[in-house]
Amino acid sequence: MMTSMEIVRAALQGNPAPRIPIFCNLLDQGAPELGMSQAEYYARGEHVACGQLALRTRYGYDNLWSLFYVGREAELLGCQEILFAEDGTPNVADYFLRTAKDIESFTIPEDITRHPVWQESARCLQVLRQESKGRFPICAYLTASTTLPALLMGMDKWLELALSGPDHLRAQLLGKCSEFFRKQVAAYREAGADLLLYSSPFGSSSFVGMRRFRAFSLPWMQRDLTGLGVEDLIYYCGTAPINPVIGEVMQHLGLRVFYPSPKDDLAVTKALVAGNGLTCGVIDDISMISWTPEQTRAEVERLCHIGMPGEHFLLGTAVMPMAVPEANIQAYMEAAFTFGSYR
Amino acid sequence: MIPLHSVCAMLETYITAYNNAVFDTDRDAALQVIAQALAAGHTPEEIVFELVIPAVEEMMAQLSRDLDANLAQHFMTAQIAAEVTEKMLEQFKQPPKTLGRVVIGTARGDLHSLGKRIVMGCLKTLMVEVRDLGVNVPAERFVEEAVAFDAQVIAISSMMVHTANGEQGCRKVRRLLREQQLENRFRVVVGGAPFRFDEQLYQAVGADDWAADGVSAGKVILRQIRELSP
Ligand code: B12
Repeated sequence: MMTSMEIVRAALQGNPAPRIPIFCNLLDQGAPELGMSQAEYYARGEHVACGQLALRTRYGYDNLWSLFYVGREAELLGCQEILFAEDGTPNVADYFLRTAKDIESFTIPEDITRHPVWQESARCLQVLRQESKGRFPICAYLTASTTLPALLMGMDKWLELALSGPDHLRAQLLGKCSEFFRKQVAAYREAGADLLLYSSPFGSSSFVGMRRFRAFSLPWMQRDLTGLGVEDLIYYCGTAPINPVIGEVMQHLGLRVFYPSPKDDLAVTKALVAGNGLTCGVIDDISMISWTPEQTRAEVERLCHIGMPGEHFLLGTAVMPMAVPEANIQAYMEAAFTFGSYR
Repeated sequence: MIPLHSVCAMLETYITAYNNAVFDTDRDAALQVIAQALAAGHTPEEIVFELVIPAVEEMMAQLSRDLDANLAQHFMTAQIAAEVTEKMLEQFKQPPKTLGRVVIGTARGDLHSLGKRIVMGCLKTLMVEVRDLGVNVPAERFVEEAVAFDAQVIAISSMMVHTANGEQGCRKVRRLLREQQLENRFRVVVGGAPFRFDEQLYQAVGADDWAADGVSAGKVILRQIRELSP
């Protein structure tokens, strides 16, 4: 029998496999799974690893996450406060870049792996690797330079700086964020992550339009990625649409794995990526809160029907909200095994 | 004296130039158009009512037609319009008649202020008075401030599912309004990413309406105000 890792590899390379790979991104569900508060759960890398392993065992999907929550990257760089919630994701509560001076003076640590925040992530990866023994791909989440400032200064301040300048300040900030991104890539690979989700909402034309995508986002993404090798990278815009940019991302960045928005037309995504890479079909897990299990099943069937011809296909979720009923997660998994079978 | 029709024609060209600048998200160019219109002798009142407001309305129509319309354009439309309106209002001979009052904030537990900021910009330009309650606002405060400000609409922004759909956000505001018998006095309008994904969600959380973006938020909120105080 093929392992999850082998099934994912087969999908990437277009080799035969008994079924499609099935991703299910459960993050905050780990704390209740272990009977902990969110703050307690996220305080230790072991907890997150155990939560991930327990959830995967319960539902049987293919991937494991080393991501705690997206605000971790801000913590590595100086954010001092995270707001926890029992019914949802932790949030950055301290946007520590407040003034131009802050932007000029903040620095990227020489060695990010010495930071206590990183060490918990490394511990999580270590446990995941030990327990997974190469059977399940371990995913990591990394924010692109053009989006990271949203976590450091708040999205509205960042959008203002990104669109209106001053140019030198914007370039300085982006340069630092890009340097940080590259250090994280190296650190995650070193720690054993198999797939790196390149989170780049500003790399969606629905954020900045095509003209700015070319003039601003693309060059900075090139700078993020030059010389790093992109085989293990997944292009993801936070579930903002990506169809209009796929061609240029492939051509200029060499990326081959695309994680679109549930609002992207999957048939178009599939046609654009074709046999040159891996298309992910992403279910709208916000609607899953109110769907019935039958509706969930029907949507999985629809996505598989569009995505599976020609193989090179993976089924996944966005960031599954805690409010999605258990019955719908079960329905998603059962339907994925049924309709995702190539036999 | 310049004949009226040529004043209109002149404003037309400014509207076009201003809109092109906003469409290109070029703030400096947009502000330059306003400066030129002022220099040509147009009053602050004309600039707001005959240039900025029609321009925002035109942008609304344009952005809702254009499948490629993007966040940067929405942000800039709101940002520049609010900036210009604010500056011009200071120079008005008489304070303008406001169309209504709104309190706005992000739901409890939510610190994402961009959506709120865009909505506020559009409302200000449409001559709606806005009281900004900031981020991470408890339900009780939404209600207290709405009463104190004598608002018609309580506007709640949430970027995440747990703050949009959870017990501490809009659901609680609705419950408080019911308990305090204030439901006839205020309308509740919500927005933010979760409502865009699940277009029925606004009803489930007890809101009266929702909007998918800042410019249509202006329209929706104005409609609610007019329904309450025709
Ligand atoms: C960009 C983005 C990010 C960026 C920046 C976010 C920010 N604003 O600071 C980054 C990468 C940092 C990020 C992080 C996270 N994100 Co995010 N992100 C997005 C994305 C792609 C766009 C959000 C955005 O900023 N849009 C731009 C603003 C202006 O739009 P808006 O808020 O919707 O507002 C408009 C309208 O909704 C409306 N509106 C807004 N408010 C109001 C109010 C009223 C009254 C009205 C009428 C209208 C209205 O008008 C606005 C202007 O047009 C969305 C997915 C999507 N396609 O929408 C996910 C999304 C919002 N993120 C999500 C999540 C989960 C997160 C995280 C919590 C993930 C995590 N596990 O840590 C983190 C939180 C980080 C933190 N702060 O600590 C989820 C939320 C759903 C859920 N599962 O709960 C989404 C939907 C992705 C998904 N499908 O899973 N994110």
